[in-house]
Amino acid sequence: MNNVHQQAAGELQQKTQALIARFLKGKEPDFLKQHARLLDDYFRQAFETSMVGPRMDIGKNPYAIIALGGYGREEQCIHSDVDMLFLFKKKVPKEAENLIQEIIYPLWDIGLDVGYATRSLKECLALGGKDYEVLTPMLDARFVCGWSLIYANLLEQLREGIIVKKSRKIINWLVENNELRHAHFGDSAYLLEPNLKEGQGGLRDYHTMLWIARIAFNAKQSRDLEYLGLLSHEEFQTLNRSIAFIWGVRNRMHHVCRRKCDQLHFENQVKLAQSLNYKRINGQQPVERFMGELHGQMEALKQQHLMFLHELGYEKRRKRKRKSQKKSAVDGLEVIKWGMLNFDGPEAIIKNPELLMKIFEESARLKIPLSAEAKRLVKEFSHFADNAFRASEPVVKSFERILVAPAPKFNVLNEMLNTGFLEKFIPEFHSVHNRIQYDEYHLYPVDKHLLRTVQTVKKFGTAKDSSLEPLCEKIYRKLRRKKLLLWAALLHDIGKGESEEDHSIKGAEIVKTVLKQKGLAPADIETVIFLVQEHLLLIKTATRRDIHDEETAISCARKIKDIERLKMLYLLTVADSIATGPMAWNDWKAALLRDFFLKTVNVLEKGELATAQAVEVVAQKKREALRSARNPGEKKKTEALLGVMSPRYLLYMPADEIKKHIKLYRDLATDNSEFIWEIEHAADANTRSVTICAQDRPGLISKIAGVFTLNNIDILDVQAFTWRNNIALDIFKVKPPPDPILEDEKWNRTATNLGAALSDELDLADALRKKVRVYRNTKTGLDKKPHQVTVDNASSSFFTIIEVFTYDFPGLLFNVTDALYRSDLNIWVAKIATKADQVVDVFYVRDVNGQKVDLPDQVSNIKAAIMERLPAS
Amino acid sequence: MKKIEAIIKPFKLDDVKEALNKIGIQGMTVSEVKGYGRQKGHKEIYRGAEYAVDFIPKIKIEIVIDTDRADQVVETIREAANTGKIGDGKIFVMPVEQALRVRTGETGGDAI
Repeated sequence: MNNVHQQAAGELQQKTQALIARFLKGKEPDFLKQHARLLDDYFRQAFETSMVGPRMDIGKNPYAIIALGGYGREEQCIHSDVDMLFLFKKKVPKEAENLIQEIIYPLWDIGLDVGYATRSLKECLALGGKDYEVLTPMLDARFVCGWSLIYANLLEQLREGIIVKKSRKIINWLVENNELRHAHFGDSAYLLEPNLKEGQGGLRDYHTMLWIARIAFNAKQSRDLEYLGLLSHEEFQTLNRSIAFIWGVRNRMHHVCRRKCDQLHFENQVKLAQSLNYKRINGQQPVERFMGELHGQMEALKQQHLMFLHELGYEKRRKRKRKSQKKSAVDGLEVIKWGMLNFDGPEAIIKNPELLMKIFEESARLKIPLSAEAKRLVKEFSHFADNAFRASEPVVKSFERILVAPAPKFNVLNEMLNTGFLEKFIPEFHSVHNRIQYDEYHLYPVDKHLLRTVQTVKKFGTAKDSSLEPLCEKIYRKLRRKKLLLWAALLHDIGKGESEEDHSIKGAEIVKTVLKQKGLAPADIETVIFLVQEHLLLIKTATRRDIHDEETAISCARKIKDIERLKMLYLLTVADSIATGPMAWNDWKAALLRDFFLKTVNVLEKGELATAQAVEVVAQKKREALRSARNPGEKKKTEALLGVMSPRYLLYMPADEIKKHIKLYRDLATDNSEFIWEIEHAADANTRSVTICAQDRPGLISKIAGVFTLNNIDILDVQAFTWRNNIALDIFKVKPPPDPILEDEKWNRTATNLGAALSDELDLADALRKKVRVYRNTKTGLDKKPHQVTVDNASSSFFTIIEVFTYDFPGLLFNVTDALYRSDLNIWVAKIATKADQVVDVFYVRDVNGQKVDLPDQVSNIKAAIMERLPAS
Repeated sequence: MKKIEAIIKPFKLDDVKEALNKIGIQGMTVSEVKGYGRQKGHKEIYRGAEYAVDFIPKIKIEIVIDTDRADQVVETIREAANTGKIGDGKIFVMPVEQALRVRTGETGGDAI
């Protein structure tokens, strides 16, 4: 019986398909409206040919077919639903059901998502007054066919009966609802997978503006926004461009998904960029350019919506005073109603262009936003920001005050970015504006990311935020040059505008140009350049190098050289990671980075290993050692060997000695013996220097010391080092044996003893026991200071440092080192110095597993073990 | 089939991945984990405050593989992750009853 309607629905389907095809070819700029028209045609035809209609008592109860919601606004996307109202003058007749069956069912059959309501005028008003969810679609009501008078009645009575009376309440409800929606769907101008309709910057923002204009000003169409003076001509154009763009994307997305869909999922973004004909430019993928533009358009819509609400005073729950207490201290600026900042007038800017920057500074200082008018003026007069303006000292100083102003919530830099003024002041920002990196790691376009990094750094300085690192807060508060850190935060990724190259290096070049123009002091520029160029150093090292190896911290410290710089770099790294997104920052990475940072701080604070001077000294020694290599093969070997020498060794050992040691090491390798040594006579003939090179092993030092004692050789001074290839270099300064004639013989015997001790053929402890008994008796009876043993676990992240203060006695070194050996400790560095009879022994030790010994039990056991071996005083 | 679970030092991940690629291992699951074993936690001191590292950050790699290749995979991981120092990690091997590829429904060896 419905043949006519089915046929009409079939025609509708065909025409729609043809329309979509034209749209996809880019030949249908007015798609949404045309799509709505096709539906209108169907309903008109259906109305005219209806079999049921005439059976109803039209004379007594006429009806109209009315389009609601998006269809009412003629914004019909490919798979948008179709909202209909069958409005009856009186009570809805029974026959209406048949009418629906006749008109709506064929549409369902062709797969349209049609929602309909059959209501009487009275019901509409009652429902609309109670339930604003029902009311809002009716705000968009559009007459399609039937009895137009009822439609006119509906509009009139809605307006007089509900809208006028409750306008404020309805608007509040709209604004609040929209905010809830934003909270749920997020800020589309930033999100990786933005919701084109419901998110902040989505189409609902535009609808909300339109509804408010309808309620408050009886606007009929969107262009009334301009006619009624709610938006400037420029703003209305921008708004239209934004929503046209978003609609275009949404339509294509419907087509790709084959259904109604508002969230732009990751996997569809590439397809859409292709369908919208984006090309690869300047190293940016089509999808990155597409998403960049989309974010930009949604940001514009979001800003327009916020400004619209703000100007009309409809922001949620903010009880603003009409007259603000705050006053601007700057000539040419004023605080206007609702507590917003404005220029005195355009003339004020012409007279003093600096006001363009000053207004943002005042905004940051007073924590009040710019009025819409002020933003318009900033845009209008931004041509004043020429080269001279950008380099002008008062302007730069003013900007720096904005940069360092605490900004917990109110972000002035964002306003500067959105008005385009930041780009005027730093033109280099242009290349990163809305620049997207298409991956799941970088959530934000580069320019937004830079501002978020600045914001995060500033948050370190404000009240405790449990989501941030407490250590960062501590460091930031004490930081002397916050300004430099914030410059670096603002510019650290500025090199990402250029393609393919290393953005840190490129960024450093750009920063140099920018800050030179701004007239910063050369030393300050150097610091910012350093921070930008190395902003990935810490995180890369912490995740890709062995941070439990001292060498890692030292080489990093040597690169950074300055503790303030290290702190700034750490804060920048943390803020950068937090501002990137949750994939870049979690507890795990935080722990790794903090641990590494503290180890590096420790190296720099102790100073000795990583000062600029130390770095130079070590580099020079390396060069010298390499120079003496006779051929490229040897040079290569020497280079490898220099790589395994410990940092302390390289720092403290003179270059000549290093060369000698390299030779000793080579002899050891060819000799295949337990150890190799070299004995040198000092100039005064009263001391000998014995350099021993051997495979490191537990107890090596104690065995050497023991053998010397056994042979009556007095030890004056020792330096012991371990290379990273497990080669030990121990340099003993000793008194020669008493009898000069038999010296060589004596040394030979000592060497034999040492060989035996190292291969465990000689029991040193036993041999010495007899000896020491003899010595003890020779002890002088003077008053001695008590012995002192300290165990220091704070000074180094990698070693436990044990210091023994005592007086000299024969066998001292053997006893102390043997005690360490028996406590299962390995000695990595030893410095023994004797002054008069006061002796200071310093040992850098680790346990057999290579870890520090820091449990209280361990510490007291070690102390006791050493004390036990010192003579009772 | 066997499941191989390896705990390694974070900076060794790239080496291990590369070594496994070389012997033709295509897939693995990697997670950031924290824990301690013989390598204890430690603490760092900054301006008088102690920052304890009770659980040391490590990387966990999980691979499911045919039984006859398990030994090779284990040895490859061991070689690549070894620094000779404490905290190099551990490798566990356990039997797997079944594997199933969600997309196709393939099971057993075909699914891995």
